[in-house]
Amino acid sequence: MSVLKAQGLGKIYSSKGNVAYKALEDIEMQVEAGEFVGVMGPSGSGKTTLLNLLSTIDRPTSGALEINGINPSKLSDQKLALFRRRELGFVFQDFNLLDTLSIKENIILPLVLDGIAPKQIELKLNSLAELLQIKPILDKRTYEVSGGQKQRAAIARAIIHQPSLVLADELTGNLDSKSAKDVMDSLKDLNERFKATVLMVTHDPFSASYCQRIVFIKDGKFFSEIRRGSNRQAFFQQILDALSVLGGNFDDVPFARA
Amino acid sequence: MTFRSLALSNIRGNWRSYSAFFLSSVFSVMIFYIYAAFLYHPGVESGHIMAASKIRMGMVFCEYIIVIFSFLFVLYSNSAFLKTRQQEFGLFSLFGMTKTQLRKLVIYENAAIAIMAIVVGIGLGMLFSKLFFMALTVLLNVEESIPFAAPLKAIGLTAGGFFVLFMVISVGTALRIGRTEIVDLLKAARKPKGQLVFSRWLVAVAVFCLLAAYGMAFIMNSETFLVLTLPILITVIIGTYFLFTQLSILLLRFIQKRSALYYKRTNMIVFAQLGYKIRDNARILFIVSILSAVIMTALGTVYILQVGSKQNLLYGSPYTLAYSEKGLGTHDVIDPAELKRIVAEDGFTIAHESITAGVLIHNYAIQWGKEESWQSKSDALIISATDYNRLAAFNDQPSLHPENGKVTLVTQFIGKEKKSGVVSGTVNGKQTEIQVGGLLEANVMNWLDSNSYTLVMDDFSYMELRASVPEDQLFTMYGYELRNWEDSSETAAKLSKLVPEELQGQTDFRRSDRLKDINEMVSLTLFIGMFISLLFFIASGSMIYFKLFTELQDDQAQFRALTRIGMTRGEIRRIVVTQVGIVFFVPVVVGIAHALFAMKALDNMMQSSNWIYSFIVIGIYIAMQTIYFLVACSSYMKSMLRGASA
Repeated sequence: MSVLKAQGLGKIYSSKGNVAYKALEDIEMQVEAGEFVGVMGPSGSGKTTLLNLLSTIDRPTSGALEINGINPSKLSDQKLALFRRRELGFVFQDFNLLDTLSIKENIILPLVLDGIAPKQIELKLNSLAELLQIKPILDKRTYEVSGGQKQRAAIARAIIHQPSLVLADELTGNLDSKSAKDVMDSLKDLNERFKATVLMVTHDPFSASYCQRIVFIKDGKFFSEIRRGSNRQAFFQQILDALSVLGGNFDDVPFARA
Repeated sequence: MTFRSLALSNIRGNWRSYSAFFLSSVFSVMIFYIYAAFLYHPGVESGHIMAASKIRMGMVFCEYIIVIFSFLFVLYSNSAFLKTRQQEFGLFSLFGMTKTQLRKLVIYENAAIAIMAIVVGIGLGMLFSKLFFMALTVLLNVEESIPFAAPLKAIGLTAGGFFVLFMVISVGTALRIGRTEIVDLLKAARKPKGQLVFSRWLVAVAVFCLLAAYGMAFIMNSETFLVLTLPILITVIIGTYFLFTQLSILLLRFIQKRSALYYKRTNMIVFAQLGYKIRDNARILFIVSILSAVIMTALGTVYILQVGSKQNLLYGSPYTLAYSEKGLGTHDVIDPAELKRIVAEDGFTIAHESITAGVLIHNYAIQWGKEESWQSKSDALIISATDYNRLAAFNDQPSLHPENGKVTLVTQFIGKEKKSGVVSGTVNGKQTEIQVGGLLEANVMNWLDSNSYTLVMDDFSYMELRASVPEDQLFTMYGYELRNWEDSSETAAKLSKLVPEELQGQTDFRRSDRLKDINEMVSLTLFIGMFISLLFFIASGSMIYFKLFTELQDDQAQFRALTRIGMTRGEIRRIVVTQVGIVFFVPVVVGIAHALFAMKALDNMMQSSNWIYSFIVIGIYIAMQTIYFLVACSSYMKSMLRGASA
């Protein structure tokens, strides 16, 4: 069963007096349930635009998008917000945790907003926190924990309501390599054990090597696709090769953007 | 780009946070100018408008209040602005702006704001001063209207005074900037929120202080007023401060522990943020609460004073028209028939009339027990117990049953309670001594020269005494109570003209005049005080408004994140409305609680109950705050959604 289906997806930015700019053109994409897919491309290739379209915070100018059988562009703003809340999970580069809430409160936010009973919330939180090894920090505040812990908390928040699709945007961009590895291991665990479907946009070949399949885009268009064999080391090499073919500049945007 | 244009564009860029401050400044300048325009009005200065002297003092006093308040308000606002702009200053210094330049920039900005506020304030003041004069004309009962005038002195004083005030403060605050390291300036905005902590001791202090203050206010009366006022003020202020800084956090902790309530949809975000909102704004909330309490109490006090003075008036003058005649049937002062005719002619009906005869005791002296006797040059009136009780029944005063052969002294004010004594004096040219058996605080007749002391005698002894006095030596008190007496001052003046000059002292026709004076004083005080209250109100609202917008950027970032993970607009609206609402209304609620207890204390002192009026004042206050809240909330919401969707 496919969770995400994009057909001929395109986005043109135009404003009065400016030349229309094609950010994305004719993207075909399909993500199956339980898949772990990466999207890579040089700066300005349209990765962020694609992610915005998939996150339903922006609407495509052409083509059709279907997430879990629903076309989000047909929903009203209100329904769309509820759709995002229930069907999607988000992990951002800059965590987006609320610093007025404790780690625990941040994680359970999607459930609380949906009016789930406190007992059920605790139950879900416990198993998840165990897996992500964040139990000891649950009662801490966001400024008391490390970046890796923050990102794992963000992953927990993205997944606690069992969304159909988890969207991750450069989630290791703000982390050191050790934390990045921990976070990616956690994400892979969730993908394997909970059968969570993950779509991740990244610059970083190392993070990308955790994916089962990587889609490359360039200049707003589909460029190529590679699949992982059994060996992550080999896949990593494959990614580097693909990137060199892809060309473009991967270094012009610094890793830490915030 | 010149240095000056940089300052101007800074103001433009920060306009949203400047606007409320600017508005309040304009308002204080305007009020100050309007008052000054009246005080320096050619008609007032030349003494042409006589009635102006009644409010001159009050207005000058108000001008001082405005200046002091503006000083504190501008001082606070300025330092708050600078605090929010630390990051900006950090950037400027990073690019090589020197401290002197930075200070110059701040001073330029403030000068620009000050000049704008002064120009707009005086402009609006001129616009509204005629309206103000018209209202005063009505309230002062001035025959001719006060013409429009824009006295140069008033303009000069307002413009000069406020410019100096603004500049002194901005130089003072400008000198304080540039003492922090650039790194700290740049990081200032991103400081983590930190833990919400409270101290058990301070919570206890808050609870204790508030309870003590309310308790003292509850039992306060006119005797304990002097002793208790200061302790009440101090405990209220301490209690309110810790209420916001400590007790609020305790309450939030309590809510956070009840998961059924806390984990209910948007409640979690509301309460979690609320703690920080209250802690970060504790000082503002505290100031606004106290200001609210002051405004409401002051407005309440004016009214209660009016009611109190009216009660005093009625107590001192039970009859609209009262006079006394020497002799039983003589009509030297005025003929009752004539009086009744004129009263009827003017369309008034007499609700009640009383004619009471009594015996005068001249040059009386009273000796209480072994105390030294107290000699008076004036007269006291002796009346019978039956007459007294008849009058007392009409006036709702206690009745009396003096002992045989003794008199009870009835007077308006008693100092110390005394048991018995002797009153001596001449009755009908004969030296007489009478035993005094008791003392009563009451008043049954208008207070004239002859009856400041009224001696009530048992009927039998009175008959005996009266028999010894010829009829033309008796003293008769006439009293007429009119319906709708409040409007009878013209009739009273007419009657007063009929009374021979030398006998004016035996009449009291001025009750309705005095009521008019009281009402006029009260409406003038309310009118002038209203602007001050309005100023307090607008300024306190603008402080909250400003605080709200300083946190806008943080909040925008938060709501952006929340929108992404699927929070609906409705939910964001709910969170914002609740939070802004709490910040706006919590100080009002606290202020109301304070004001209610203050009014309760006032009621105790005046021995009256005026809750309806108190509730009207509070209702108006809540309504106005609600309008302010709606405006602030919608403007906040708009910028929030704009930021969140970007």
